[in-house]
Amino acid sequence: MISTPPPPALLMSPAERRRWLISLWRYGVPALASVLFLVLMLAPVPVSLPAMPHLALMGVLAWAMLQPGLMPPWVAFLIGMLADLLFGQPLGVNATLFALATGAMRMASRAFGRHGPGFDWMLVAAVLLGVALTTAPLMALAGQPTEVLPLLWQWLTSVVAWPLVARTCAAVQRRLAASAPQWRHG
Amino acid sequence: MDWTPAPRRTTALRREQNLALVSAVVSGAVIAAGLILLLVARVNPDTASGVRAAATDIVAPVWSVVRSPLDGAAKLAGDFSDYFGAVSRADRLEAELDIANARLRAARAGQRELQQLKRLMAVREPTRTVVATTRIAAATAGSVARTAMLAVGSGDGVTRDMPVIGRDGLVGRTLEVGRTSARVLLITDPVSRVPVIVERTGQAGLAIGRNLPTLLLADRVGPDQPLIVGDRIVTSGDGGVYPPGVPVGVVVDASPQMPLIRPASSPLGGGFVTVERGWLPIPADTPAGPVFDAPVPVEARTRGAPAPRLRGADTP
Repeated sequence: MISTPPPPALLMSPAERRRWLISLWRYGVPALASVLFLVLMLAPVPVSLPAMPHLALMGVLAWAMLQPGLMPPWVAFLIGMLADLLFGQPLGVNATLFALATGAMRMASRAFGRHGPGFDWMLVAAVLLGVALTTAPLMALAGQPTEVLPLLWQWLTSVVAWPLVARTCAAVQRRLAASAPQWRHG
Repeated sequence: MDWTPAPRRTTALRREQNLALVSAVVSGAVIAAGLILLLVARVNPDTASGVRAAATDIVAPVWSVVRSPLDGAAKLAGDFSDYFGAVSRADRLEAELDIANARLRAARAGQRELQQLKRLMAVREPTRTVVATTRIAAATAGSVARTAMLAVGSGDGVTRDMPVIGRDGLVGRTLEVGRTSARVLLITDPVSRVPVIVERTGQAGLAIGRNLPTLLLADRVGPDQPLIVGDRIVTSGDGGVYPPGVPVGVVVDASPQMPLIRPASSPLGGGFVTVERGWLPIPADTPAGPVFDAPVPVEARTRGAPAPRLRGADTP
């Protein structure tokens, strides 16, 4: 829960209206957290394999699981576009992949409902594998064909890193829910 | 007439179904927009290069600030280990210095001879000019593209297609330049092609990145000369971007089908890199004059008009 529903705008006192406007940033927390993960991925780590876990995509997937309303495919699309800009890939590759992955998570949550963390892990591993395998055709569509094999290293590290990312996002979500503003109705 | 009207959907149900429909349509539109963007990128690879440069302008300084305390800590640790290993290190260095001095004495004669010969032949050689020295600020280690970001940009005189050289060897070349940041195409990127020669045989070829720790040595020209594991690969200077003689790597797999090179420098290890001016000036890509489809009269040409340039492969 990001916040309890506010009273109708006409009934708000000026102070309440100000408080409500300021509290609107809370709706952007999932997107902001994913962008932060994206910047974190750009750390100059001295590895010659593409072994950095795909933190940005995992953040998007975690939020699509925890707050599906605040991580719709179009928000994932925008984050993916930012990822394209920062990774130097053709504009649209990550954007399409993030949107597709979010849609897949939505369908999965509609099909399977509530489930345990182990199932989540398997589901995310499958989605990440699908993303890794779909990257090559999309890059080919953009006119830069690449090999898919090196990306499987990233898939491995991503799958290993998933519990950490999921716990981080869940901790942020818990803190967000604990500090939700209360409204005086009536 | 056996006809019963369909049961009316409740308001909440209708609302939910409409919302689901709208969100499905929006999702489809978003994915279609992504595919259209990809096609645009295929037709015009420079799409949104301005936005790209602005994005790196924001992120590269952030990372160069974030990593500076880490670099400081690493330097402190290095200083400590230097202190404890100083004596054995000094011994080793003295031995190395003796060998190097002997080699230098031998080389000096050769150098003088070379200078005389060059003067006789009036060889004009371009010189290497360092434009900027900096650390790698950020890098993409989790993507199909292997690029790095520097916290220097057009404000420091950096432009496109400048070689980036590390302490141990070639790192890559600049790809996109913003105001205070530059994107470097690393030699391990699948798009990177570096003209190289095998130092022992002088055979020219291309070092191709694979997004893996090794490079592929391909397109070797001339008669088939077998490689040996340990052959040094250096840049040839062909193409005009990279200066000749910069170490690229060492052959680690000499199989004739797929010879592999291990790069000499690991660019993200924290050392400094230099951005140099391009080895040879890149020819201007704007055409010198208008394109004539009609022949130019002889009278006009005798008065200095340029020769007709027909529309062809090299003209738009």
